[in-house]
Amino acid sequence: MNRICTIAGKDFRSLITSPMFLMVAGASSLLMSYSYLRNLKQFGESTMMSAMQFGQEGGANIHFSVFMQHISITNLLYVLLMPAITMRLLAEERKMRTYDLLLTAPITATDIAVGKFLAAFGAGLVLVLLSLIYPLATRAVAEFSVTQLLVSYLGLALVTGTYMAVGVFASSLTESVLLAVVLGWILNLFLWFISQGAGFFEGSKFIAVMEHLSIGQHFASFVRGTLNVGSFVFILSCIAFFVFLTQRVVESSRWR
Amino acid sequence: MIEVRGLTKSYGDRLAIQDLNFTVNKGEVVGFLGPNGAGKSTTMKIVTGYMAPSSGEVRVGGFDVFENPIEVKSQIGYLPETPPVYMDMLVEDYLIYVARLRGKSKPDAKTMAQAAMEKTNLTEVQKRLIGNLSKGFRQRVGLAQALVGDPEVLILDEPTVGLDPKQVHEMRDLIQRLKGQHTIVLSTHILPEVQASCDRIIIINRGQIVAEDSLESLGKRMSASGQVTLKIRRKHEELVQSLSGVKGVMSVRRDGSGLDVSVDHNEDTIEAIAEHTVKAGAGLVELKATDLDLEDIFIRLTSSERSEVGREL
Repeated sequence: MNRICTIAGKDFRSLITSPMFLMVAGASSLLMSYSYLRNLKQFGESTMMSAMQFGQEGGANIHFSVFMQHISITNLLYVLLMPAITMRLLAEERKMRTYDLLLTAPITATDIAVGKFLAAFGAGLVLVLLSLIYPLATRAVAEFSVTQLLVSYLGLALVTGTYMAVGVFASSLTESVLLAVVLGWILNLFLWFISQGAGFFEGSKFIAVMEHLSIGQHFASFVRGTLNVGSFVFILSCIAFFVFLTQRVVESSRWR
Repeated sequence: MIEVRGLTKSYGDRLAIQDLNFTVNKGEVVGFLGPNGAGKSTTMKIVTGYMAPSSGEVRVGGFDVFENPIEVKSQIGYLPETPPVYMDMLVEDYLIYVARLRGKSKPDAKTMAQAAMEKTNLTEVQKRLIGNLSKGFRQRVGLAQALVGDPEVLILDEPTVGLDPKQVHEMRDLIQRLKGQHTIVLSTHILPEVQASCDRIIIINRGQIVAEDSLESLGKRMSASGQVTLKIRRKHEELVQSLSGVKGVMSVRRDGSGLDVSVDHNEDTIEAIAEHTVKAGAGLVELKATDLDLEDIFIRLTSSERSEVGREL
């Protein structure tokens, strides 16, 4: 446990101080500021309009019209940007030969895989919190249910964890950081689009299975603000699956 | 301390090392010598638990490397060919990290990092980024990393590669100072390095051990053996046969128009060879006697076309 924390702590520190992380954080807050303000302004105008026309107030729900859009934009950004943060974690260790240090230290492959994932997840959470600032700040000017918002963000944190686990796995497969990024994208998009394949097959059961496997379904229920145990477990097991695959890859380097 | 039995490793169908057997006793400094590509690094990697062998067994301090990897790894400090340092870390932080990986508590890790830096004279650069240090310093950081926590066994894989002569000298001094505190396995292809620091030498070539002896007795062999090169005009085959019978001759080999004769270090033998050749009417045109030094032994043992002679040494 201690050794996992050692690896996670060191990599977390080196991740969030890396230029790549700062660039990702900067670029995503720039994009989010732009889109969030635009959505909020539109929402404000339309509620004003309906209030003037029908003489009623507070009819529209800010969670559905502004926050959900904000979260899905954030999610789209993170699908594409998270592999850029995780790409170095193991690929660079291989390239710089620091992998030798990890493999000859008295630690197990599980320590390495879990430590790396936790470091990446920590960095991912920082970015999730960055995105949470926008709706929380809106609280100053509007009334809404914070619980619903937090449940949506729990969902966002979980899928970010999945992207991180996928990214660390992609990074474990290769020495090239470029390949690690591209592989991360492909796997992330695959997680999203797996349900699309259902259209090729007959049978409602099969389609149901495919849809269940797609991360989008589960994420959507969180974003609506409902805490669904099934979805929670599904996303957690996705994370565990990719961390397990990483552990296998690290372990296998002894046998090559 | 280290026992290696029947160690074999193949990469695909290429055999990197083949049936290696050797033992390193506690407190000993052993030089693992061989040309590039002989299988030195592969052996080191297997002993440190970095890699699994195709077959065979390695025990360090009584523990099997594959059944108890954690116990074995905590006894070994390993400096690989390329020092495994993070360019974006401070020297001190890096060494503390290594100590923490070895399972030490925070305050312990700090003192251990300090101790390792003092041993390797790194205290003045402890607050600098490793990426900004010169190659020699990075190599020292790599050595400090292996020393963190005072492991029983030190495995150093080509510790002086790529250093300038002054740095090489410093590195050797360092290793010299570590003698007696650790069991050291030093892999290298540079001869003066083993001469400077090792008690015993294992020479490996093409994945097999070709010689294993103490520096002293190898030294004796050096002075005890010599080589005589003969250039003759005829009767080569006949002489290869008959010279072997001369007292003091260890082996005879034909080399183009000449003969290479390995002899003991005795002038009588050389005289006898000259006499024998002249008597045989082989048309002696040149006779040259040379002494063998460690370098010659090494070259003879490790160059493949001469390996037959080498084994007889």
